Order: sequence, then C-alpha cells, then structure tokens
Amino acid sequence: MSKKKFSVNGGFKDAVNTVKFLTERKQFINSAEATLPTRTDDFGVNKVAKSIHPKEQSLVITKIEEHKDIAKSYYFKSEVAPLAYFKAGQYLTFKLTIGSAVVTRSYSIASSPLGALNGEYQITVKRINDGFVSDYILDNWKVGDKVIAYAPEGNMIYSKLRDAQNIVAIAGGSGITPFLSLARAIDEGEEDCSLTLLYGCRTSEEILFKSELDSLSEKNEKIKVVYVLSHSEEEGYEKGFVGADIIKKYAPTENYSIFVCGPGGLYKFLETELPKLNKEKKYIRFEVFSSGKKAEENAEEYNITVIDRGNETVIKASSNETVLCAFERAGIVVPARCHTGECGFCRSKLVSGKVYIPEGEDKRRMADVQFGFIHPCCSFPESDLVVRIN
Amino acid sequence: MVKNYDAIVIGAGNGGLVASARLAKEGKKTLLIERHNLPGGFATSFVRGRFEFEASLHELCGVGSITGKSPLQKIFKEVGAADKIEWVALDEAFRVITLDEKNKCDYVMPLGKEKFIAKLEEYDKGSAAVVTKIFDIIESIEKTLDFVSDIEDFKPSMIKEIFSEHTDFLKIANYSVDEVLKSLGASQVTRDIINAYWCYLGQPTDELNVIHYFTMLHAYIIDGAVIPKGRSHQISTALLEAFTENGGEAWFNTAVKKINIENGAVTGVTLEDGTVVNAKAVVCNASPYNAYTKLIDEKVIPEKLKKEVNAKTLGAKGFAVFLGLNRSAEEIGLNNHTYFIYPDNDNRKCYELSKKIETNDVQATVCLNKAIEDCSPEGTSILYMTSIFAGDEWSNVSVKDYYKTKQAFAEKMIDNFEKATGIAIKDYIEEIEIATPMTYARYTDAPAGTIYGYEATKEDGIVKRIVFDMIDKGIPGLYFAGGYTTRHMGYSPSYTTGDMAAKNAILGMEKEVK
Repeated sequence: MSKKKFSVNGGFKDAVNTVKFLTERKQFINSAEATLPTRTDDFGVNKVAKSIHPKEQSLVITKIEEHKDIAKSYYFKSEVAPLAYFKAGQYLTFKLTIGSAVVTRSYSIASSPLGALNGEYQITVKRINDGFVSDYILDNWKVGDKVIAYAPEGNMIYSKLRDAQNIVAIAGGSGITPFLSLARAIDEGEEDCSLTLLYGCRTSEEILFKSELDSLSEKNEKIKVVYVLSHSEEEGYEKGFVGADIIKKYAPTENYSIFVCGPGGLYKFLETELPKLNKEKKYIRFEVFSSGKKAEENAEEYNITVIDRGNETVIKASSNETVLCAFERAGIVVPARCHTGECGFCRSKLVSGKVYIPEGEDKRRMADVQFGFIHPCCSFPESDLVVRIN
Repeated sequence: MVKNYDAIVIGAGNGGLVASARLAKEGKKTLLIERHNLPGGFATSFVRGRFEFEASLHELCGVGSITGKSPLQKIFKEVGAADKIEWVALDEAFRVITLDEKNKCDYVMPLGKEKFIAKLEEYDKGSAAVVTKIFDIIESIEKTLDFVSDIEDFKPSMIKEIFSEHTDFLKIANYSVDEVLKSLGASQVTRDIINAYWCYLGQPTDELNVIHYFTMLHAYIIDGAVIPKGRSHQISTALLEAFTENGGEAWFNTAVKKINIENGAVTGVTLEDGTVVNAKAVVCNASPYNAYTKLIDEKVIPEKLKKEVNAKTLGAKGFAVFLGLNRSAEEIGLNNHTYFIYPDNDNRKCYELSKKIETNDVQATVCLNKAIEDCSPEGTSILYMTSIFAGDEWSNVSVKDYYKTKQAFAEKMIDNFEKATGIAIKDYIEEIEIATPMTYARYTDAPAGTIYGYEATKEDGIVKRIVFDMIDKGIPGLYFAGGYTTRHMGYSPSYTTGDMAAKNAILGMEKEVK
C-alpha cells in the first residue's frame, strides 16, 4: 500500500531527518547545566498548596474569652508557619490526647479568613451534656497551651457559582460560629454575598456574640440578624423555632440559599419545615458534626483487630459507638476530620466482620463499597472486626 | 526499625499500582508506600452531596472496545485485577468547537475508523482519500510498534525486516504531526478534526512527534475507548486489591523521605518517621523530578542525570471544574460525551495562550452521563471541565488571591462552555468543586501542579525517550514508572510503564542473583 510511494520530504531527506534525532537528543541533554532545577517545594504553587493545606498546624492559645458560663472562645496563633487561609464556614479539626485516648474533633472557625492571614484563629466551644471532648477543652485548655489542628476543611462555604447571592443562615446555639465568620468576611470585603442570619437560642441570655452581630448588621447593609428565642418571650426577639414561617418572614424577595448549622434537634425540626419552602435541593446546605454515638439500650461488646502497616493490635469496641470512637479510645490515630462520613479521610479496609452504617450517612465511593472499604466515623460494629487503617 | 523486602514501590499512582501488582504476582515480597490515604494518585474519585465525581479520567484507551486490542486489559488480567472492573464503551470520539468567530468550527466525530472517515467526508468533501491514507499510515506505525514490542530475543535479521517492512515508521520517526499531515495534503478542516486530541498530550502539533500522536489516534479511534463504571477509583482499588491478594503489603498515609543509595546503587528507602526499609529494587512512581530534587541526596546523582532533569520541561499544569447539575443531560441539552473547546483552531496559538490565566481558554469537558447514564441520581447529571496550563503562572498567585483567582477561572470556563455550545448550565449547579494546580500539588506533590509529566517537545518526544532509555541507564536498582517516563503521561502510558518498570526490576533482581 502506502509504503512504497509515501514520503514526507522525499526519501533521502526523510532518512536524514530520522538519523538526526540521535544528535538532537544528545545535544538537548548535553547542553543543559549539571545542576538540579527548582526544587518541588520551592514552586509558588507547591508553597501555596502547603500553606493552605498544611499537614498539621501547631497552634498556641493566646486568649480565652468567657461567654458567661455557656461557652468559651479560644484564640490561637501559629507556633511556626503562617496560619492556613480558609473560606468562611470551614472548620478546624483538633487532635487531642486525653488520657490514653487520641481524639479528633472539629469546630467551625469563628474568626474571619482575613484574620487567619493576620495570624489569628478563633473557635467557640459550648458546654454540652456528655460532650467528652468539648468538656475536656473547657476544663483544661489554658492560655499558652500548644494544640494541634489540621488544615481547615469543609464545604459549607459560599460559592458564587453554586449558591444564590443571598444566604439565609439558620444557626442554633454554638452553630453561630461559621456564620459569624461569614458575616465578618462580608464586612471585610472578602465575600460578596448578603447574609440574613436567623439565630435560634433558648433565651436571650444564651445568644453568643450579640453585640458584635448587632454592630455588623448596623454598619453593613448586606448583613441582617434576627434572634429567635424558643424558651422565653422577650421584646425585640422572635419567639419560637426557626421554621418555614420565620424564614418566609425574613428571607429576601430574590432567590436565596439556606445554610444550616446547629444541634441535632434543629435538623430534625427543619426536616419537616424546609420542604414547605419548595426549594430545590441545591439551595439548602447543612453543616453536620456528629458525636459518633447512637442510642442503644443493650450495647454489645466486640473486638476489633486493627492492622497498621503490618502491625496488629486488638482493641475493644461497642455496638453503640462508631469504629472511629473505638480507635480514638484506644489511642489509635487515623486521619479523621469530619466525623460524618463526608470527607473520607478515615477510609479504612474492612478485612472481615460486619458494620452498620446509618441510612443517609453512607457517603462512600462506589468502588469502596464494592471492595469493602468503610468510613470508620460512621460505621458501627455488628461483629468482631478486622480493619486495616494504613 | 529496619524491614526487608524484595522490592519497594514508591507511590500508588497508576504506574505504582500496576508495578506493585505485577511484582506481587511474580512472587516478589513487595511493599507499596503511599503518602495519601487513597490509591490512584490522579486516578480517583470524590463524593460531594449526591454526586460521585471522576477526578481525572476522560476516556481510557488500551482496552479496545471496537477491535478488542487491549494491551491494558492483558496486564489487568495477568495481575488479577481485570474481573474487578466494569467497563463501559464509548461510541463518540469528541465534539470540537472553536471560540474564534472567524474560523469557527464545530464538529462531532464518532469512534471507529470507517465511521470516522465517513463523518469527516461529510464535513470536508473530498477528504476521504487523504484521511484513508492517514489511517493507513497510523495502522502501519502500529504494526511496526507491535513488531518491536513482540521482540523477545533480538536477532540481526530483524534489522533487515525493519528496513524492508517498516519504512513508514523509519521515514516519519522524527517528524511532527503537522509536517506529515501537510505533506499528505490534508486540508485545514481535516487537520482541525484530526488534531482535536492535541490537548490530551498538551503539545502543539507543530512539534508533537507524529508517531506519538498517531499511536494515540489508533488507540482511541480505531481500537475504541472505555470508561470504568465505578470511576477511575474502581481501577485503582481493583489493582490494590489484586496486589494485596497476591501477598503485597501497602502502607498508606506514609511518606518516603529518602531513597537510599550506597556505592551508586539503591539499597531501599527511609520513611518520614525514620523507619528504614531495605530492598534491592525501588520502583519509583514519584516523578523523577521529585525523586531527584527531593528524595535522593544530590551528591549521589550522576552529572548526566542532573543534566537530563534540568533539560526537560515540566508539562501542563491542571485545572478542573466538577459540576453536579440538578437536571438530566437531556433536559439541559448535553448531547455529547467529550467537548474539546479551543480559543482558536491553531493549536500552537492555543498553547501559547494557555501560559496565562488571563488568556487560557482551552478546555476538554466530559458529560459522564453520556457514557454512564446512571452515574448520577435520576434527573441530575455530571459535567467536568479540564483545562491545561503551559508555563507556571499559577506560581505567581498568592495565598490571599488564591480563592478569587480559582473561582474567576472556573467561571470563565463555564462561560466559555455556554458560549461555545449554546447550552445554559449555570442555573443548575447543585455541587461544584474546583481543582487548581495547587490541588494537584496538595494531593500528589506534583511539581508546580503538573499533571502531564514532562512536555513531549521535539527534543523530548516519546520516540527519543524510548530509544535513549535503552541506551542511558540511571541509578542501578531504581526504576521509574508513571507519567514522567518513556511513554509520556496519561492513564494508559502510566499503567504500561508501571508494568515495564516491574519487569525490569525483576530482571535486575535475577541478574543480581546470578
């Protein structure tokens, strides 16, 4: 067929051209200097990646602010590197050693993204019943203490391309913090959305950051704040729970997105309230944190054999706590972040055994389901298990 | 703490996964070490809301759905991963659109040689003869490569055979795509269509080696392309499973700090926690760029290797927008699987424009539902857009400007898509995730966020790489696999070089024993 007639520049020139590649290549290598090029870690791209997503951040507590006896705000500076930048609405996951346990817990960042660039993070921890880690923090952390946090994570952030430009934020209790960050970011010109904050508390006593929220809404027309009290009737406050009626009353006439952050009861309530608004799913976003426990009268005890880089350890587990809880109690460190099955950092291989994953919490990849990988943070043991974590 | 293995594989990217699966299959005590918590490198997926997004794969060649020519499937079978992966065949090659009003083009092309030639004839009357000729050459090149790769024992008589039976290859081995297409008299329209895949290799066709490109055309258009049902994460996890089933050990969340070299040869690695792992063979799926600038003591790197690392140019940096849409592909009007959208039909110009964030308008966009109809919940669809950057302008983006720059470029890509196709998507975005060069750097330690290995320039095209790789040997005991090696980047080449690296490591171990 083609081979006899075909040529590019004539047979001889083609042959010469082909032979040339030997010299071209040699010259290409030989003319280079015998020094190594820019180190990978020195590219701007790699530096920014590392700055925004450091493996760990070593933080020092600089200030503790008491909010009556309800909550405390902790302020941090970085011990070495600049603090990782973030988007308002994201959270920090702290790694704590409590006795023989090594636990991770996430707290939304209350300070603004600009604050991080200026060297400060703020989180707010509320005292809750049976809040093992929160109580530990409230009782133990002191100014000057060093703590470890991972890089900011989380998807409850304003995205111009996804969300409506008006955000209606529903906060319950200490769930105010991501929206305080957002309000601060709007005020500092870092975010260009408008915010209508519907902040639910039991009584006016329990409202956190009231004076700052009031002054933000006073000076910035993009920010509106409505307080909704469930357990007391007071002048100047809405009474009841933040539901469809309150949302309709205060939401802007234009299209809006709903962001929610608060305790479990709030989500339960909103499950029946939000459908009344007939909003598309894309306009409703929840921030969920979980304690990793489930109510169960007669919990079963199981053993988990944990495989970490070829080494096996057997630990105790209970059917009413997640596999991650069992790891944490035993001081086994996995790179957990969100505790709700979403981020996938704790993904581990279930070599054998059976786990229960609550409906709606299974956010695993298809192939992970196929090959028996689990997210320990939302998997409850139902038998003895063998789990490979690394 | 010291541990001993026959072989260590650094990095569970595509190359590392195949290399480790092969080593374990061949009975070698193998340790695979990965710094991230997942296998796959770029070959992975992630979940946002009710969508599972493919992180990087657009379409896979090497599992021939049309001709059955499946070099990859052969490897997957041999290492025990094939029956764990479900493939879905594609029937469309691409739709290519240019944004430039003056030379606007918009062509939809099918896979399959005959269909492709017939469709091109529709768009470009009278092109069939030339296009048939192009495919003749593509097939003749493939025959030569098959001949060469089938050689087990080289005999001098084979040289004679090459010079008599494989002259097309010899003639065009050092030409660019443009040089050959022009000499064949291909019209502008024919070249616009034939060259549409250029962004998959990232090199303009005026310097891209023609054998490289024609081999890819063979793999896609003639042999047919597929996509895994469970995203590329299914391939990655299947390979990992096959590896562990064959006795391999994989350590995740574990980073290598140093590749240890004594008396000029590899002895193993030291991990970040100080653990020393010994092995005579190290297959490195970390890029040679990272190996030489981070993992190997500069003093033990031979001058010649330093020159080589310095001479090469880092390839395209990645940018991607992942969209979960709350309407079905049909409702929105997404009728194609692959959209190539270019600012101009001159790909050299596109390449030059892609050096700046401001001027880069290149995108390859996939509607996954056109391959896997039920890849997202009913009434929704998945669209992901990838762009490539030549140069390193993202290194000038500061931390403070990062989120704004990222969002602005993503918005431009969406605008360009809407403008090029006339399809409105902005109102339907339920989930969005944006990956920048920083994202690729974060997850894989890619230098400057490179996703395309080294540029396949005229001097560093794959034919030259392959020939010189046979002559120039690096540090004994160190074998590279993945997108920075002889076959250039991409899924299929990375799997292939992973397999080659493992086989070479095994040969090396056998020599050592003798």
